[in-house]
Amino acid sequence: MGSINGKDIHKVVVACDAGMGSSVMLASQLRKQLKKFSVTVEHTPVNSIPGDADVVITHNGLAARARAAAPDKVVVPFQVFLGDPAVTAVVKAIESGGEVSG
Amino acid sequence: MAELTGDLLDRRAIRLAEEAADRDEAIRRCGEALVDTGAVHPGYVETMLARERSVSTYVGEGVAIPHGTLAGKDLVHRDALAVLRFPAGVDWGGQPVTVCVAIAARGDGHVELLASLAEILLDADRARALREATEPEDVLALLVPAPEDSNR
Repeated sequence: MGSINGKDIHKVVVACDAGMGSSVMLASQLRKQLKKFSVTVEHTPVNSIPGDADVVITHNGLAARARAAAPDKVVVPFQVFLGDPAVTAVVKAIESGGEVSG
Repeated sequence: MAELTGDLLDRRAIRLAEEAADRDEAIRRCGEALVDTGAVHPGYVETMLARERSVSTYVGEGVAIPHGTLAGKDLVHRDALAVLRFPAGVDWGGQPVTVCVAIAARGDGHVELLASLAEILLDADRARALREATEPEDVLALLVPAPEDSNR
């Protein structure tokens, strides 16, 4: 919980239940969008979010589990898999600075 | 890459004239394709149904990506995909679905194909081509990234 400035984001984790489907697809898109920046994008199951994650992006339905699993992280929930405004806001914050809160 | 795809997306798992009365039946059909091609233990199919009940795998443009839960991962023999097309459509919790890209994965062997699926879904013309594909070759041409992926 809390917030983080886009400039301080070095690792974005996309979490879903099994880490084999939706998170993989979204992470591939984010990797492409963030290619120019020194930001690592990983996809993981929601209960194995790595300790060095700065921001956790996860489906609305899994946000509570993500917050429980990673209480000190900024958790950004999304509703639609591709083109969700919440995810776009994270990309924008990384590109040009700005706060991401969760 | 070609051999990787041969293993990952078995031709016998590309089934383009399927029928299902509802979402659960569609998922069972998807599961069967993964079972038939030796990618998963039959028990995996129940975890696909469980996953769908907790969070939908609808990803947009008439496409869903059914897959199992974390618990189901142990029932996966190898990373594999199946592509099933339901020309009459299936009601997916209020969204009409025509194409299912079913996933079984232990590792990251399928990541590239899912990345190219994401690209297709962001391109209305290619998404329509996927929904209208009647030949396995068409599906492969869309999903399998060309070398340097720039021949389009």
